[in-house]
Amino acid sequence: MRRRTLLILIVVLAMVAAACGSDDTAETTSAPAATTTTTADATGATTTTTEAEMVPCSTSTPESCAGTIVLGAAVSETGRFSREGKDTRQGYATWVDWLNEEYGGINVGGDRYLVELIQYDDEGDADTAANLVERLITEDEVDFLLGPYSSGLTMGTSAIAERYGVLMVEGNGASETIFERGFQNIFAVLTPAGNYTESAIKALADAGAKTMVIAYEDTAFPTSVGAGAVKWAAEYGIEVLAEETYPLNVADVSAIMTKFRDLDPDIFVGGGHFNDALLFVRGAKDVGWTPKGMVITVGPSNPEFATEVGVDANYIIGPTQWEASMSWSDEWFGTAAEFAARYEEKWGEQPSYQAAESTATGLALHLAIELAGSLDTDAVRQALRDLNVNTFYGPIDFDDTGKNAGKPMGAIQILDGVTQVIAPAEAKVADLVYPMPPWDER
Amino acid sequence: MACGPLPLTTLKGGRSIDQFVQAIINGIMLGGFYAAMMLGFSVIWGVMGVINLAHGEFVMVGAYLTWLMSDGAGIDPFVAILLVFPIMFVFGYVLQRVLINRIVDRPHLVALLVTFGLSIIMANAVKLRYTATPRLTDTALSGVWNLYEGVTIPRTKTGILVVALLIMAGLHLFLHRTKLGKSIRAAAQNKQAARIVGIDVKKIYAITFGICIAITGVAGALISSTQAVFPFMGPPLTLRAFTITALAGLGSIPGALMGGITLGLVESFIGIYVEGIGTNLAIVASFALLWVILVTRPQGLFGGLRPAEEPQPL
Repeated sequence: MRRRTLLILIVVLAMVAAACGSDDTAETTSAPAATTTTTADATGATTTTTEAEMVPCSTSTPESCAGTIVLGAAVSETGRFSREGKDTRQGYATWVDWLNEEYGGINVGGDRYLVELIQYDDEGDADTAANLVERLITEDEVDFLLGPYSSGLTMGTSAIAERYGVLMVEGNGASETIFERGFQNIFAVLTPAGNYTESAIKALADAGAKTMVIAYEDTAFPTSVGAGAVKWAAEYGIEVLAEETYPLNVADVSAIMTKFRDLDPDIFVGGGHFNDALLFVRGAKDVGWTPKGMVITVGPSNPEFATEVGVDANYIIGPTQWEASMSWSDEWFGTAAEFAARYEEKWGEQPSYQAAESTATGLALHLAIELAGSLDTDAVRQALRDLNVNTFYGPIDFDDTGKNAGKPMGAIQILDGVTQVIAPAEAKVADLVYPMPPWDER
Repeated sequence: MACGPLPLTTLKGGRSIDQFVQAIINGIMLGGFYAAMMLGFSVIWGVMGVINLAHGEFVMVGAYLTWLMSDGAGIDPFVAILLVFPIMFVFGYVLQRVLINRIVDRPHLVALLVTFGLSIIMANAVKLRYTATPRLTDTALSGVWNLYEGVTIPRTKTGILVVALLIMAGLHLFLHRTKLGKSIRAAAQNKQAARIVGIDVKKIYAITFGICIAITGVAGALISSTQAVFPFMGPPLTLRAFTITALAGLGSIPGALMGGITLGLVESFIGIYVEGIGTNLAIVASFALLWVILVTRPQGLFGGLRPAEEPQPL
């Protein structure tokens, strides 16, 4: 009978472990429902002629368009990336709607093309995302792909795109490992993960920081962030006293924080996603340790972070891909602030940098197609490599591996509950506060 | 890993003793939380034989209730537990009457499937209503006491430990000193005999489930200020509850405390003393411990409410 109890225990353990590993993906086995953000149907054909004259081709005047370019993307709607996936979808839709309604379609050698974007829910699961991208290529026969949210999902889906020779332009996979495989069909508009902490570490070194500790989750993106932080510390003359990793879904970091406290470094660098940022702040406070500076990825740059953490969020530094207060601008979406206003009017919330880079992803593909003057994959690939533009999101200039080599990473610090850009020098709106005051003196 | 050896100052003299004391404190604090978190899981399994795979989701719902009170009315999480307890009790009682009672006497697999389905429904319902944005509550207790230079006691986690101990003492007294509690133990030990002496087993089960869910909700309230609260936080907690139950024995309260603290100390020591990958290795160690216990003492270290042999077919 003991054996039976043992058997039950093992079965249950396996089930729970499976549920943990794939997050909440196990519930959906049916075919995913496609959501089409914008279609070229002619239901709005009653629009006035003046508008049709102003816009050479739009969803309301499809007869004046030469055709429709079909794009596809797998982006999380449920699962662990449902928040960031929502930002990504809204970012893509901002570009598609602007393109089809205001800009007048993509200009391909004088002909105007509408864009249709087919999106599926990858549930935050790598296997699901890969299957969906294969389906987009083989069944939906999309012309080009846009990326999913997160480095992990971009790793897998870009391999599928490479196998079929379909171009994928993405804005939410920052890990260097994505670009170290010699792929010819992946292009990313965002600054790679290894450079996330550069601006922040430079600013802290300038302020007098001498020693540093690093903790990061042992998954693709945080590992790249951690390796980058070590590199930048060496570059700016900061000694790294310790480096610690922790697993996905960690619930307690007090051991790491205790160890770090006893080493007494000047600054703490934490690489992870949103939840980890909350743990780091509470963890440091729970062991009574106030580093002079705390740099944490993903969390702090999101306005929700300060709302949830309260006063303890003040003085936390976070790398940011983009902020509405930055001085970038272009002829399509205007300034960064104008893009933010457009986004807020459309979606009722401020754009996170994940949303802005998703819009920029669409814009980069759009500009490359116009530059190529063709829909041919080889021509567009070459045009992506040749592309060198300034946009509301920052400069876009792809290197041979597909990374955006042109864009510097910014850093924000939360001051009085507001995220303020403190680096790089040309984009900053506030001065770095260093060292930060102890937790109990706020 | 590119990190070199730790500076010697942390390894010699008074520092190492401080670190040792700190590791013990951290471990006990962590263990207290683990014990409170898994108690409901363990007692439901012990009394009804139902393995509740939605356990982590009940913790999540308790945490969200607390966040709503904290965010909406500024109620401190440690005060909110007074409200969370009755709300979750009613939730658990009704759920038992409507759903769980129908599966208590069925094979284990049915209970596993039903509670697994329940966990998915709960996580996604919360996500639809409150989005996936992680939440955190604020407590007036946050901060530390300095025991002496180099050793600190986290105040929030001390609060969690105290509440956990109170809950365990309360449950122990309830099960052993009250008539209702004795009925619950009777139903756990022998359902047929309990029926013969006039115990309404269905009602007993519903009350047990209500109390366990209430305790689980309180555990959610307690952790809402120490870690991110989000709809999909449940499965790792269920897994942890499972580990400690196997360590402790089904429904054993002293076992829950000792099992929780054992695991807390193991994780704390490995986390502090192993460099670079300590926190990763601690998770590995906790499951290695589980395997050893399962193989050598499948009834758990401390016995419990119910004999390990299951009278019902799989």
